[in-house]
Amino acid sequence: MDAFVKVENLRKRFGDLAAVDGVSFEVGDGHTLALLGPSGCGKTTILRSIAGLETPEHGSIAIGGRPVFDSASRTNLLPEERGLGIVFQSYAVWPHMSVADNVGFPLRVRGMAKTERAARVERILEIVGLSAARDKPAPELSGGQQQRVALARALVHEPRLVLFDEPLSNLDAQLRDQMRLELNELQDRLGFTAIYVTHDQSEAFALAESVVVMNRGRIETVGAPREVFRRPRTPFVARFLGLNVWPGQFLGPTSAGPEGQRYAQIGLADGLSLWGVVDDNQAVTAGTPVVACLRKEHIDVRRAGGQPSPAAKSTCPGEQTFAGVARAASFLGLDEEYMIVIAGVELRAVRPASGVASGDAVDVTIRPQDCMIFRATAGRLDE
Amino acid sequence: MTRPRAGKPFGRMLEIWLPWTGVTIGILLVLGPFLATAIRSLLFWDADGGRLSLQNFATLFQDARFYQAVGNTLLAGAGATVLSCLLGFALAWIVSRTDLPGRRWFEILNLVPFFLSPYVGAVAWIYLAAPNSGMLQHWLGALGIPLDFVRIYSIGGVIWVLALFYTPYVYLFVIAPMRQMDAALEDAARVHGASFWYTLRHVTVPLLMPSLLSGALVVFVTSAGLFDVPLALAATRGIRTMPTEIFQSVQYPSDFGRAAAFGVVVMAATILLAILQRQYLGKRRFETVSGKGYRPRLVRLRWRGLVAALALEAVYIAGGVVLPTLAMVMVAFSAIWTGRLNPAALTLKNFDYVIFGYKLTQQAILNSLFLALVGATLGVMLALLQAYYLNRGNASRRGLVDALLSLPLGIPGIILGLGFLILAVRTPLYSTLTIILIAYVARFFPFATRTVSGMLLAINPELEQSARASGASWLQCMRFVLLPLLLPAIIAAWLMLFVIFIRELGATILLYAQGTETISVALVLLSEHSSASMAALAVIQIILLLGAFLLFRLTRVSLVQS
Repeated sequence: MDAFVKVENLRKRFGDLAAVDGVSFEVGDGHTLALLGPSGCGKTTILRSIAGLETPEHGSIAIGGRPVFDSASRTNLLPEERGLGIVFQSYAVWPHMSVADNVGFPLRVRGMAKTERAARVERILEIVGLSAARDKPAPELSGGQQQRVALARALVHEPRLVLFDEPLSNLDAQLRDQMRLELNELQDRLGFTAIYVTHDQSEAFALAESVVVMNRGRIETVGAPREVFRRPRTPFVARFLGLNVWPGQFLGPTSAGPEGQRYAQIGLADGLSLWGVVDDNQAVTAGTPVVACLRKEHIDVRRAGGQPSPAAKSTCPGEQTFAGVARAASFLGLDEEYMIVIAGVELRAVRPASGVASGDAVDVTIRPQDCMIFRATAGRLDE
Repeated sequence: MTRPRAGKPFGRMLEIWLPWTGVTIGILLVLGPFLATAIRSLLFWDADGGRLSLQNFATLFQDARFYQAVGNTLLAGAGATVLSCLLGFALAWIVSRTDLPGRRWFEILNLVPFFLSPYVGAVAWIYLAAPNSGMLQHWLGALGIPLDFVRIYSIGGVIWVLALFYTPYVYLFVIAPMRQMDAALEDAARVHGASFWYTLRHVTVPLLMPSLLSGALVVFVTSAGLFDVPLALAATRGIRTMPTEIFQSVQYPSDFGRAAAFGVVVMAATILLAILQRQYLGKRRFETVSGKGYRPRLVRLRWRGLVAALALEAVYIAGGVVLPTLAMVMVAFSAIWTGRLNPAALTLKNFDYVIFGYKLTQQAILNSLFLALVGATLGVMLALLQAYYLNRGNASRRGLVDALLSLPLGIPGIILGLGFLILAVRTPLYSTLTIILIAYVARFFPFATRTVSGMLLAINPELEQSARASGASWLQCMRFVLLPLLLPAIIAAWLMLFVIFIRELGATILLYAQGTETISVALVLLSEHSSASMAALAVIQIILLLGAFLLFRLTRVSLVQS
């Protein structure tokens, strides 16, 4: 894949805070990248740096092979010289203009003739489904319509790169799903390269072909959505994606699983132990502090005493069952979410409703292949 | 289409240099007269020539007239502040919190004095209440109400006229918080057993205290420094005040050292008050507006309350607007003013003379229009650049720049005029219209900057950023996005400056020369010997001011609708 956007070793400080701390990534031509992370992780600063709205201290940014920012050669193009489109979280639809004026603005400042401008505005409004609102003043639009105006405005001059800053977060759930599908379709149709900034993992996974997960100004992991979701590379990513994180330390050497995975056993509090999968490139030394990461859906919860429980301290990888107490149960519809306490550690589990109530003693079963083990120092373990 | 154009270094420079230039000009306009006054106050001339010395201050502090002037000014300022706080609070409460019929109209009428000239108001009150000849004495005397106790030529008279003109300041400061206050705060007191008056005294007034005190401080500083009213009502009877003393010091035989020393004392006091106010407001701020609160209910006035409310409105609007204007109109249309209106002697010849026959007044009208039109435009341009810098520019220097640019807000016009006089004397600018123009802009641009800055603060920067990212240069972004969005504030600031410049007297009185008189200066010159011409000119000024007020209302209404 050809890199259309190339960001290299970007750094930006706000006072004492390193908002962006040496970030590099590439986006292929026509591809979509999502910058995912909690608020304050630097993702918006990167987007604004690409747009030229923020000036980084260090690094370089190239769009379509042309350097737009380079701290070494002191290149820094103005936003209007970078030829992009942008959709802000606030939409930034100009309240003193009609829908057509808003959308036609990028063409107007490029000096396009009025008739041609009107035709192109008409075409893009049709694509985003706003033809009927053409002459409406902007303040009369609903949130969803404003978002479409912002989108049309970002696309009308056919930029090859479009930036999206949390484009869906101000919409209600139903509209969000619809817009997500429409955005996917639009991108297939128009073929622009897109960079999304979002704190919502489902938005990032649904929209993007690759996802960059960020934490405190640094990249935690990069990968295709499925890859990032299936194998979070660091405890932070696991935590951010909503996985349970269980601290412990390595007990001993690994053993190979049936599909070539490496299994290792870790010791937990209260003398408990747990088998899990270790990443290929991780050296396993007894005593190294680690964390075990478990998806909520992969923790099986039953009321205790139903059947004989296998030994918690097994020597080979197999199902392992722990005794715990349910602290809370909340109804989610088809499923129920439980908060379970085992040896002082809180775990969350989502299961089909099974009648477990708060205060019940429960048996918790975990399969080794569902349990990912990371060194506690791999990536920064930050809340 | 999306091929980017080559980088334009000129555009890039403009974006940074233009706002910076506005700020620099502002700071120079402020610091110039300040430093000139301060330096001049330290220069002393005697038989041995000039030298640096504190002699000017020593002489000033040994002079009984200084203490008389300061005492009278403090008294006038304090009196005007107390009276306009009472009036402003009561009127705001009546209009915003009761069901008084016609309150929409009163709401507008209460603001009219804000737009009128205090000097004309003071002279009109001489016609109304001068001993023996006053119209009010005549009318009310006929009704059996003696007005012998009224001494219009006194500090009491000064306080009365100042209060009429400064009531709208307090009114504007308190009416917004009064409207937006969460009604639950008052209702809680009532439910827990407090009476209406108890609640007013122990809940409503304390909650509004920060706004009221801010208004009070502004009124005290500006009313005490106002030259117009003491000139008409105190100086003529030998009562000394600060502004008239400074004026006197610069008249022949002039003593600039004394005037400058006096000016430095006043500036120091004003800056001290501003610092105290910032600290007080920093400490004390109540959350009276809660998002989910409900609007205060309107108090239903029984007939006694209704009569009291209407009477207060009537007294204020009659005293501040109707009576003074009526008096001026009557004098202006009379061939000879004898203290009574003679229907047989009504004439237009005063207007004819003032507009077509008299060089001084013709020139004054032209000068004032020039100063107001050009000054307001320059002031708004400066304000735009400064507001842009303060809201969008380098964040680290904003606090200091804002404090510097706000300095002229409390400084009396006559002191800034003195500063520019000291600066301009022996330069080609001396006795030109240009130096008056510069002084006007320097004294009043902070008002425009505040107005524009307040609106800019509410504009999401992403509106501009999306224009830039859409391909607009900084200038295009200003022209197509920011300026149209700021238009209401631009119009409001322009009209405000226009009104202020049409009636300005304090800064002008030291800077005018033959040929550069303004309307207000001509009024002062004519008041000595030609009351008919003066009244006609005053009526012309009132028409200009009320015209601006009408435009203000009209544009605001139409802007709200759009």
